Formats: sequence, structure tokens, C-alpha cells
Amino acid sequence: MTEDVLVSARGLEVHFPIRSGGALRRTSGVLRAVDGVDLDILRGETLGLVGESGCGKSTLGNALLRLVPPTGGTVTFDGTDVTSLDRRGLKEMRRRAGMVFQDPFASLDPRRTVAQTVSEPLEVHGLRSGGRERAARVAELLELVGLDPAVAGRYPHEFSGGQRQRVGIARALAGEPDFLVCDEAIASLDVSVQAQVLNLLRRLQRQLGLTLLFISHDLSAVRHIADRIAVMYLGRVVEVGPADAVGSDPQMPYTQALLSAVPVPHPELERSRKRIVLRGDVPSPAAVPSGCRFRTRCPYAFEPCPDVDPALQPVGAPGQLAACHLHGVVGRPVDSGEPVAARD
Amino acid sequence: MSGPASSGTGPVPSGTGPVLEVEDLQVDLRTPRGTAHVVNGLSYTVGHGETVAVVGESGSGKSVSVLALLGLLPARVATVTGRALLHGEDLLTMSPERLRQVRGPGAGMVFQDPMTSLNPVLTVGRQLVEGIRAHGEVSKADARRRAVELLGEVGLPDPGRAVDRYPHELSGGMRQRVMIAIALSNSPGLLIADEATTALDVTVQAQIIDLVEKLQAERGTGVVWITHDLGVVAGIADRVLVMYGGRCVEDGTVDDVLERPVHPYTRGLLGALPDLAAPAGPDGVVPDLATVPGVPPAPTDLPPGCVFWPRCPVRSDPRCETEQPPLVQVGGGPGALPHRAATWCEDRTPGAASAVDRTFGAASPGEGGS
Repeated sequence: MTEDVLVSARGLEVHFPIRSGGALRRTSGVLRAVDGVDLDILRGETLGLVGESGCGKSTLGNALLRLVPPTGGTVTFDGTDVTSLDRRGLKEMRRRAGMVFQDPFASLDPRRTVAQTVSEPLEVHGLRSGGRERAARVAELLELVGLDPAVAGRYPHEFSGGQRQRVGIARALAGEPDFLVCDEAIASLDVSVQAQVLNLLRRLQRQLGLTLLFISHDLSAVRHIADRIAVMYLGRVVEVGPADAVGSDPQMPYTQALLSAVPVPHPELERSRKRIVLRGDVPSPAAVPSGCRFRTRCPYAFEPCPDVDPALQPVGAPGQLAACHLHGVVGRPVDSGEPVAARD
Repeated sequence: MSGPASSGTGPVPSGTGPVLEVEDLQVDLRTPRGTAHVVNGLSYTVGHGETVAVVGESGSGKSVSVLALLGLLPARVATVTGRALLHGEDLLTMSPERLRQVRGPGAGMVFQDPMTSLNPVLTVGRQLVEGIRAHGEVSKADARRRAVELLGEVGLPDPGRAVDRYPHELSGGMRQRVMIAIALSNSPGLLIADEATTALDVTVQAQIIDLVEKLQAERGTGVVWITHDLGVVAGIADRVLVMYGGRCVEDGTVDDVLERPVHPYTRGLLGALPDLAAPAGPDGVVPDLATVPGVPPAPTDLPPGCVFWPRCPVRSDPRCETEQPPLVQVGGGPGALPHRAATWCEDRTPGAASAVDRTFGAASPGEGGS
């Protein structure tokens, strides 16, 4: 491998048992939230992870940090297998990997001051011993995210949504992480405030050399911030590649439909644009279609789609991968389990 | 046509004139922190088959302004003044009985969150039938047939079975279709959609927008579409009204407002949007987004003068802080629809105010922090 991979998932699966009611709590099915994800996140890059609600993007983000236990496959973080880490190893890994959550109202403890919230990771990881040193670090972190250090003694309710999200980012950065997962970090903010937080994340990424996983359903925001984009559908990464390539020349029909559905604020362009309107709804992750999971809504579905589960294959621009039989039938047949090799 | 508008009886009229005329709408809400001036003098007209988009950020008063029209604000705390003529009949002075007749056949509303606005313990069919039978002598069986028909019209698969489903058995997109079916069940002349697609994924949003546009073309419904998403506005609106601090700060045709914005707030809002089509500048580098520093004012504590001045990067006129700028024409007309803006900002030439764009563009990375 030529590129420097920081986080890597191979065949990653997170399946949740569906339990029926009643005393026996029998397992009546399996919800495949993440279902065989192969993904590399390169050191120092911003990877945008997009997909619609229920596609498993948040679960994937959580599984990479082992906030939910994977039920199959592997995750490696800087060469270490995350799935087999013991308590101590996991703690150190979590110091090196921070998380910014969606809702800055729910993710901050309303009864703790900003200083208490931001210094908690310092205490947990035994960084900067001594009150004065910790206070200095908190001030430094607040300044880093564009807050006045004088607000350290205030409580979350005294802040606006955008300011709270800055506090959440300061907390995530406290342990000097290499890797930051932002799960819908701007979704609950107003447009003008979203822009402030997007700019902040971009600046921090450059300034601190962070590796960023930016999970969002907002394709415009992802296109703006990401170096590469990965698209998820029903628990699987179906396309990944450089942001320019995926954003302007998507190779997977789902990505094409998704991009065409994003409204842009230019009336003339909107009027002339052809929207690909998909039929129906996303199937339930408890009943994933056989073969290509997008085939039930795909306008181009043809014979091999129900029979062969498509693998990611290089198409389009260098570094662009898509899981689609239109580019050659590559993948695992549903019945035999033997992979089909690439033709060319 | 139907009986005189003022009589307050008879069927709800329809016609080819303006569907809705709102004049100087003001809404005050009593809150524990004092009186909130949520809507301060809003005027607009919605024509037959026309879509007017009301845009603004949270707290701008856009939702309250339409809830007030249909008498959906609690009377104990809300004071609503002004006029709101639906086919010439004032909604604000209507008797509660008349208002009940008008809601439905006169004006249908689609709320933002279909999970909380549908009754979870009644089937979809019951909820549709209730609305249909409330406005006409329709037998239960006929109303049910009509309900199935409506569910089919809004594109719900297998409407014959969907009619007996409960809301929790449907996906978000399907629930929102049910909401639209309910809003359309009495063929209203006016459809109000309050963030109707905000909770939905983009592909489902595209389906819903297509549906509303199709129904509008078929029936000539006037639509008030409330949203914060300027992309959606560009796709559906004929006219746009930008709200800030409970006031209309700019209005005009969708092309005028989005392509040639005049008000510093509208410009800031548009500059803050990441561009899906071309994120990188001519040098191939993705620039920082322009931002509007600070946060919107609280409706209990509106600034004197121009509502936007505390956040405005180009304020220069002494009147900004003391005198409220009137909504004056800055473009459009004669013959075309006027383009209006409420600002003291000198550079009123649409699209040519590079000073504004420069100022917004030069925002430093740590702006608006504390």
C-alpha cells in the first residue's frame, strides 16, 4: 500500500438482533446496520461519509471507534486491530480519536460548566496534572475553537447552538487526537452558523494535521469540506473516491440520484436540471435485497443484479471505486459464494 | 361564484384573483421574558397557481406568521393584527365556526414533522376520513373511497392497504405523503407547507416536491412554502420573501432575490452556502465560506433601527441603528414584479455591491465565536 492509512475497515459488520416481545426474547431477525464495509481513511485527509437516514453511516462511525462492538470484520487504527484491544489499549485509542456529536444541546451535560466539560478528557487520560495547567489547557482549547476563554465558567444553556458545538469540538480536541469523527456536526445549526463551524473544522484540520471523518447527509457541505467522499447505502459503501470525481462524475446510479436530488440555490440551474427521482423507499436493513442492494430502486437494474453482490471496483477517475455491475460484473454470487473475477 | 365574502356562510369561494393577500401582519406573543414581537408588519400576495417561498433562519418568525393566518396560535398568549384575505375574506376577523369551515377547503396545511402531527393511535384512513366528512355530507364508505383515491394520488404504494395502516407502520416519506393527502383532501385553494420536507432525505424530498408541483399544476393551488433551504426555494418558488427578526427584509422574484440579492442579510445567507456545483475557486482551492457573524436577535429584544445592523458588516449609515428602513423597490417592474429590500445600505444596485461581498468574504476564521 502506497498511501498512509490511519483507519481501515475490512468487511466490517454491525448486526443488531431484532428481539420479539415476550418472556423468551427470542431473536426474530437481524438488522444489518453496517454490512460488509471496506474503507480506508488516509492520514491527514478529510473523508466525507454521506448517505440517507438509516443507511448506517453513524453506526459505521461509532464502530470505527468501537463505541458499538462490530459483529464481524476488522477495524485497524494506525496499524492496531481495534476489535481486539483490551481496556487500556482502548482507552489510549479513544484519546487519539475524538468525536463531535450531532446535537450540541444533548451532548453537553447541562450541569457542568464549559471548563468542566472540556477538561474531563484531560482528567480521564491523566493529561496536564494540576488545576492550573488544566485551566490553561482549557483556555487554549477554547481559543482554538474561537471562543473567549473567559466563558469557561459558564453553563451550556448560556450559549447558542453554534457556540455549543464549538464547546463540543474543544472537548473532542482535548486529548490531542489524530482522528476526529464528526457525526452530523452541523445538522442542527442554522445556515449562517453552519458556515462558521465548517470553516472552523477546516482550519483545525489544517492547523492540527487532523484526520477527519465528516459524516453528514448534506452533500453540499461534504463536497465543500472533504478531500474524498464515501457514499453509503443500506449498510454498505457503494462508491468512494476523490471529492471532485464523486461530486461531479459519480459512477454508481445511487450516487447519481442522490446528487441530482440535492437542490442548489440557483433558480436557472434548478429549472434546467434533470432530477433523477427514485422510486419507492429504502428497503429495511432487516430485509436487505439479494445481490446489489440498490437494485430494487435502480433505474438500470439488469440480470446479474439480484444474483451477484457487487464489489467495489475501480471506475472513472484514479482512486474512484464503485460497486455496480454496469462497469462489469464483479462480486460474490448470491448462491455459490465464490467471487466472480473482473473481466478485463 | 359563491356567496358574499363577508356573509360568513356558504362554500369557501375560489376564483382567479389573488388566493391570499396578507397586509401588515403583526404577531406578538406573551412570554415569561416579556412580549416577543415575532412578526412585525408582513405583507405579501399569493396568486392562483403561484408559489411564494418564505425563507429565514430559526426564530425569524416564518412559521408563526402562517400559524397566525389559520388561527392556530393559542389565543391566550398571541395578539394578531393586520389583515389576511383568503379569496377576499379576512381570516383574522373570522368567527371560529367560519374559520373551521375554511380550514380544509380554503387552506390546507402540511406541518414539518409528520410523526408528531399525525395521530399515532388512529389509522391513516380514519384521519383522512375525518377531514373529508367534516366538510361535506359524505357517507363513511364514500369518504373511505375518497381517502384511498387521495393516497393513490400522492403516490403511496398500495393505497387500498395503506389506508388501514397506523402512522408508525409508514416511513417518513410515506407519512409526509399522508400529511399532504390530508391537506389536499378538500381541494384547498391555498396550500401552506411549513418546512414540509426538512425532516426528509433529499431523494424523498425530490419526490415530495415533484408531487406538490404536479398537484399545483393540475389544480391551480396557491402555495406558501416555508423553508430555510435556499436550494429548495430555487427549485419551487415563483417569488421569495426573506424574513429576519420578524420582518420582511427582501422580496421579489426567485431570480431577483437569489441571483441579484440586495440586502446584506440575503447576501450573507447565500454566501454561507457551500456550492455543490463548484466548490473550488478559479485557483482550484476551496475557499472558506463567507459567514454572517453572530446570531439572530431574540424576538423579545429586537434592536432599534434596522433589525440586521448588529450583525451587518457594511453598516455605515447613521440611520442603521436608529431608524427602521422601509421596504423600497430596488429593481424589477414596471410590468415585472417589483424587487424590494429594506436596508439603508447605499449600494442598492442588485448584484453590483462588491463591497458587501468583499466584506463577507474577508471574514476571519474565528468570527462570531463568543
